[in-house]
Amino acid sequence: MVHEDYKEMLAPHALDALDTTDARAFEDHLSGCGECRAELGDWRDTAALLAHAATPATPPDELRARILSAAKQTTAASARVVPMPPALLKIAAAVAFVALIGGVIWLWRRDVKSRQEIARLTREITTQQRELARSRDALAHQRDLVALLGSANAKKMELTGTAAAQKARGTFVFDQQTGSAMLMTDALPAAPAGMAYELWFIPKGHLPMAGKVFSVDASGRATVSDLMPPEAREKAVIAITLEPKHGSAQPTGAIYLSSSS
Amino acid sequence: MPAEPSKTSDSDLLRAVARGDEAALAACYDRYRLILFGLILRILNDRAEAEDVLQETFLQVWRRANDYDENRGRAFTWLVTIARSRALDRLRSQGSRERIATEAAAEPRDLIGDASAETLRSEEGATVRRALVELPEEQRRALLLAYFEGLTQTEIATRLGIPLGTVKTRVRSGTIKLRELLRD
Repeated sequence: MVHEDYKEMLAPHALDALDTTDARAFEDHLSGCGECRAELGDWRDTAALLAHAATPATPPDELRARILSAAKQTTAASARVVPMPPALLKIAAAVAFVALIGGVIWLWRRDVKSRQEIARLTREITTQQRELARSRDALAHQRDLVALLGSANAKKMELTGTAAAQKARGTFVFDQQTGSAMLMTDALPAAPAGMAYELWFIPKGHLPMAGKVFSVDASGRATVSDLMPPEAREKAVIAITLEPKHGSAQPTGAIYLSSSS
Repeated sequence: MPAEPSKTSDSDLLRAVARGDEAALAACYDRYRLILFGLILRILNDRAEAEDVLQETFLQVWRRANDYDENRGRAFTWLVTIARSRALDRLRSQGSRERIATEAAAEPRDLIGDASAETLRSEEGATVRRALVELPEEQRRALLLAYFEGLTQTEIATRLGIPLGTVKTRVRSGTIKLRELLRD
């Protein structure tokens, strides 16, 4: 059945004259149809007018007293559901509403706070992991350094800052036999964005030979392990220049640190 | 505070009844006893039974006035619907026991009405009766059978020996005309 069929049932429904099957189908339709529901009241009002077709009749006088005394003994509707004056009811509803909104805000805030806390803890963990990794690296470097210094063939060179970085200092240690080397810097200025420091081995009579590219921490410190080319192990100048961040094959930038000879 | 009962609106009266105001119930009884007793009597055609049902009706009003929702219809409709359902329930429980001699739905006497009784009831009652007289006889018959005897459309068809479709058309057209006449 379509909506129009149901609309035709409004009048008989208001008169309770639908047959059982139709009445049931109509009730189903009604629960989902706002239009029919809205119209139903009107049809019921019309049907109720048929009561006027009956001749008014006067009930016996004593019936009034009988009804009123029976009512007195029966619990009125209001006595079962504790009545609240409409004003109080409105206030209660308003209070409940405000409480609800408050609750929602509280939960929302708590949620935001929890999420902020989780984010903070996550950041903390990341930081600690990074620090741990750094400590591990530092430890490995120190182990290398100890090993290096313990070697009978170890040689140490002091690096001094140039005009570009007068406060900077550095120490370069290497094993003449194996070539394993370590550079430690201090007070090198932070490299500008897109730039990095590069280590150079410059044997006498040779072009500079590229070593590792590195960056420094906030205090200008760096510890860099490298392998020294054989040509540089006898006698060479060690220098640090500023280069594009992926390094260069030959020095292009200013020298920041260098050994004296 | 049920002010002057005659001036209080039906809805206000029912709200007061819902609060447990006995005076409001008394005022409601005074206002509606004639039409409701007339309606019940017409359905049951037995004074003793009708008095019983009138009492049941007002006790239900007393207990259930909370249920009345003025957004869903007139107070008059709510009251009349309770009285009619109670009376029809009583009629059905009587079953075929000495099925009332006079057919409740066929009483032209009511429609013609006697002027003295009319003055007791409202202008609305007079308007409705005029409207009913203006309806084609077969439409009026179908409506009155449904309303006062509680017959379904199929039962009306059987009673009158006419097709169901015809009954549906009559019920529908009759109600629509009644509705239009009342809107003027």
